[in-house]
Amino acid sequence: MSESAVSIQALHWAIKGRSVLQGITTEVRPGDVVGVIGKNGAGKTTLLETMLGFSPPASGSARIFGEDCRNLSEAVKMRIGFVPQQDELLPTLTGTHQISLTSSFYSTWDSALVDRLAREWEVPLDRRANVLSGGERQKLSTLLALGNRPDLLVLDEPVASLDPLARRRFLQQLLEVAGDAQRAVIFSTHIVSDLERVANRIWIIKDGRLLWDGETDNLKQSVRRLHIRARRPLPSELGLRGVLSSRRAPDNMTATVTVRDLGEADLQAAAARMEAHIESEGLGLEDIFLEIHA
Amino acid sequence: MFILNPHASVPIYQQLIDQVRRLVAGGQLLPGAELPSVREMAHEHTVHPMTISKAYSLLESEGLLERHRGKPMRVAALRRNQSSVAAKLRQIEPQLEALALAARQLELSDEEVIAQLRKNLGEKS
Repeated sequence: MSESAVSIQALHWAIKGRSVLQGITTEVRPGDVVGVIGKNGAGKTTLLETMLGFSPPASGSARIFGEDCRNLSEAVKMRIGFVPQQDELLPTLTGTHQISLTSSFYSTWDSALVDRLAREWEVPLDRRANVLSGGERQKLSTLLALGNRPDLLVLDEPVASLDPLARRRFLQQLLEVAGDAQRAVIFSTHIVSDLERVANRIWIIKDGRLLWDGETDNLKQSVRRLHIRARRPLPSELGLRGVLSSRRAPDNMTATVTVRDLGEADLQAAAARMEAHIESEGLGLEDIFLEIHA
Repeated sequence: MFILNPHASVPIYQQLIDQVRRLVAGGQLLPGAELPSVREMAHEHTVHPMTISKAYSLLESEGLLERHRGKPMRVAALRRNQSSVAAKLRQIEPQLEALALAARQLELSDEEVIAQLRKNLGEKS
């Protein structure tokens, strides 16, 4: 079995008495592309930055390639690429200078890859960072993170300023990074449709907890929206397990309930109990996200 | 050749499986036909390679596709039952179930539904 890229155990993090991460446990394996979603303030950025050792956990642990995030060795740091939400480009340096500065910190640097991506992504390397657009800055920061061919690439909102064409090219590149199954990618985003494409795993973070940690396909298969139509008024308690959200009509004859992990047998038993007809509908990721936060 | 919609409620790997099955059952993909590599498919549709390889592996274990070392996935030689009416009917089972469900909800009689279905089949052919 290959070593895990990231291993997180009961991770807590707090600031000024406010608990931001409340016991996160998960693992990332080489080849994974993990998409992280959650509302603003859910703890996405804190999770990414804490696991990389930017600030020590209140309790619990995060390990990167087997090393504790509080004491990462130079060797492990060399294997990580990170693109923060707010880029850290030096305003007066041109792209070319940023690249040569960054590459000087690393023992290995893939100039051919960086040159090729700069051309493909149309990053004007001859201009200073302070005159680049938001999208150009984002692309340049990503180039800098890819140059050392990291085994773990972590990106915080990498596509927010990119147009649809640039986003597509960028996502293709992410998949190429992960494609050789030796490397792992974790990225947070607000654009749910990107996750559905490229992420093989999804973390949904709500109030500092991992509400969902699993394969994208399984998430889609496990969350169903039930349309219940009864022949007589529905009981006040529907008695369904795993309810994420529930709405019912004023006359109590119909209800719409979104459930998680409800088996076919449970569904039929519920229909018989309520003397109702239940239609089960699958949902896209965006709807699932909305239902979870309803 | 394939239409993958990441936003649908059906997972992408399942969409690919359904389409390969239909194309094989319908004869558009003949035995020996080569499928694009996992890498090509993943790149073309911008989806995770595991999604494609999961679909291919499941189709391989079903016997619909076969893998030869270092060569592209191919459609397996026809088994006797593969193009049978029963196999083809299995392909449209989900649509039939949906139709039956809607018909029951509307309290239409079997005869009424079958008569209408005959009409639709006549129009489409």
